[in-house]
Amino acid sequence: MEFQLLAAGLAIGLGTIGPGIGIGIGFSRAMEAIGRNPEASGTLFVPYILGLALTEAMAIYALVIGLILIFAVG
Amino acid sequence: MVGALLATALLLLATVYVRRRATLVPGRFQSLMELPIEWLAGVVRSTGGRRWAEFAGLVIAIFLFVLVANMIGLLPGVGVVGITVEGEHGGEETLVPFVRAAAADLNFTLGLAIIAFVAFVAWGIRANGLGGYLKELLIAEPAYMTPLLTPIHLISELSRLISLSMRLFGNVFAGEVLLAVILSLVPLFVPIVFLGLELIFGFVQALVFALLTMTYITLAIAEHRQHESGDEHAGEAPDHSEASPAPGTA
Repeated sequence: MEFQLLAAGLAIGLGTIGPGIGIGIGFSRAMEAIGRNPEASGTLFVPYILGLALTEAMAIYALVIGLILIFAVG
Repeated sequence: MVGALLATALLLLATVYVRRRATLVPGRFQSLMELPIEWLAGVVRSTGGRRWAEFAGLVIAIFLFVLVANMIGLLPGVGVVGITVEGEHGGEETLVPFVRAAAADLNFTLGLAIIAFVAFVAWGIRANGLGGYLKELLIAEPAYMTPLLTPIHLISELSRLISLSMRLFGNVFAGEVLLAVILSLVPLFVPIVFLGLELIFGFVQALVFALLTMTYITLAIAEHRQHESGDEHAGEAPDHSEASPAPGTA
């Protein structure tokens, strides 16, 4: 049981590194774009939210794996 | 489940109330009801292509439903009204609340995702015909790549279903767990910040679910239209359809 908890912790911990970097890059680029062209913030919002959701899906997969490890295995 | 029923009842009540006394110059309440609908309809119109009006209703309905369900789950105090249940192995008693965040239950999000899945497959079939849809699904663009790309294509179609439901479920469930952990760590004042954060997340996730549904429907409709006519979404559609075979994008 202890190893399952360790595995779940590692899964979510390592699994959020990539999406974290990805969301950071996306957000910084969005801010850059708004800084260059403040009127574009309205049109940037929806594509930004979509990209955020697609990037974040990876972290959600890690969360699901973690939940499976804790609750469904053993 | 009670949360989802409550959300449905609230939305229906608001609809009936506003319909009854709808005026051309909206009052306060009517403006409040019209605000999200007009805003989202504008978004759908600007990104949904030529046939946006057909599926705008579905997108707005999904958005409002998920939004209200999320907000009901966040109301202070709803989590403490419930029945106590004995633990499984004779452990401690646990409180099972009557109303919890609807999307913290996988059945709710999976049901919504199935609705979205059926919607975009049905729109794809309606736009391209059954043969056209199957051809798009099963045969890759250079025909010799078919054995390699078709499984990836099928998996990416199905993973849309899983990722749509898991995204909403994971976010709301993780939000509930986060709130509980913070409440047990620092019971005073600090949870307010996280409650505000959950309000934003509830809104963003509702928006994401609705917008992804819209994007999938738009892709399903636009897949074959690109070379027929150069309408306004033709410039955007190839980007998406090139990206869609990758299994992670859904």
